[in-house]
Amino acid sequence: MPLKKRGYFFVLDAVMGLMVLVIGVFLITSSYIDVPQPVQVELLSDDLLNFLSNTKIKDLNNQYTGIGGELWKQGEITEAENSLLQQIGEFYATNKPDTAEKFIQNVSKEIIPSQFRYEVWMDDAILYPKTPSAEHIKSKESTELLLTSKKITFGVINKTTSNLWGPYKSEVFLWER
Amino acid sequence: MGKMSLKKKGIFFTFIAITIMTLFLIVFTPQAEISLQKDMQATSARISSIDNYVNDLETRYFETVLRATTYKAILSLTYYINSTGFFIPNLDSAFSEVMLNGTINNVPIDSITNKKIMDNSTLTNWSSRISEAAKDTLNVNTTIILINVTAFQTKPWDIDSMLKINITVKSNVAEWRKTAIISATISIEGLHDPYYFVNTNKAYANQVKKSSVEFDQWNITKVREHLRNGTYVYWQNPDAPSFLMRFTNTITSSSCCGIESLVNPNKISPADQIDSYADYILWDTTNNVPCSQLYNITNPATGGGIWDEFKYFKLDLGHTIKYNITPQDAVKTC
Repeated sequence: MPLKKRGYFFVLDAVMGLMVLVIGVFLITSSYIDVPQPVQVELLSDDLLNFLSNTKIKDLNNQYTGIGGELWKQGEITEAENSLLQQIGEFYATNKPDTAEKFIQNVSKEIIPSQFRYEVWMDDAILYPKTPSAEHIKSKESTELLLTSKKITFGVINKTTSNLWGPYKSEVFLWER
Repeated sequence: MGKMSLKKKGIFFTFIAITIMTLFLIVFTPQAEISLQKDMQATSARISSIDNYVNDLETRYFETVLRATTYKAILSLTYYINSTGFFIPNLDSAFSEVMLNGTINNVPIDSITNKKIMDNSTLTNWSSRISEAAKDTLNVNTTIILINVTAFQTKPWDIDSMLKINITVKSNVAEWRKTAIISATISIEGLHDPYYFVNTNKAYANQVKKSSVEFDQWNITKVREHLRNGTYVYWQNPDAPSFLMRFTNTITSSSCCGIESLVNPNKISPADQIDSYADYILWDTTNNVPCSQLYNITNPATGGGIWDEFKYFKLDLGHTIKYNITPQDAVKTC
């Protein structure tokens, strides 16, 4: 009997040790799994702002915003060398918020995955979405991870006089729905 | 007793195992690493963001500012010559002063030209604005020292400007120090030629517009259009001065950038002058073409030439050949 009892005790001991090991390994691995997500979101907000500031109007192949597109024909866009961010700033400086909103929506719709929401601000004024829905506001307020990227932007408002607008603080907010 | 001590030993080993595992968990728990990683990511993101800003300062912001300010400064200097009626003795220092401070000889240039061009638009104004915007946007302290700025030409239809600056950007994570040379190019098309202003006592304004005629396509019809439109031409190996040389009345040849126009006799007084009507020859008192080498661009015998519209218009032999004017449209003046 004492011999049997000893065996049982050691088996129990081994099981407990194994459990401790399994729980330890589980805790360690599960903690690592959550890490990459903030990086992705942060990259997305930077990506959007970099895309807007590095892409020029002349580089766009877009029926609405590109050279020869709708806004070009309407005379709303006149400078092919403007970056998209400069064009947004120019719309803001010339008090054309509706055009700015449509422009941002058009150029960014393919950039941001649908599970994310975002806002574009210029000089502390929201340009996209111009009038956020209640759902949008609630989503932003309740998000656990709201990331932002900022840049300065300015440009030429009148080529004849070389007058400049800005500099404005342009900001992108991005979060998961 | 023997059994008990054996049991106690087992518990002892279990406690050791649990203690070791606890220590193992504490030491290798990812929380600390994640926190450090997060901190590193935040710092890295901040450094990357400010690094982009420093690069943008050099490659975008100041390039845009320099281009706009150069245009404004040249425009202001043209109006300044128009207001004073005198050439500028030293273009480099005048240009630099206007670009940096908006003044000329310590007097605001806008007050002389009566045009609001440089007001709040100097390089100094824009440096302050960018620094303030950077403080507000990225929470960094930017110090920009404007060392010098110059204008020159390497192409006939463009003005290049070059700005040397020292940039210091300080943030809570790092500090950037950089000396940068920024260059920008503006077109001279559309700007007034100061040489016309001074020589006609502001009576004749001519804006620079490049002629579209190729060098081997000239004929009398195109010369007529050239005069009508006041357009400018660049000849290979030119004798004419560049646009910037016209600010200082430096009427010597500029191999890279000499441009010329033809003076409309209807817009000067007296209209009939014994000289070539190429602008840089007509008003250069040291370069008078003898009457014997001049051609009236008319021919009463054939009815050719352009005196029906531009009476008294004359050219020297060199220009008569350059513009491909044949004896059918020209006769010797003397």
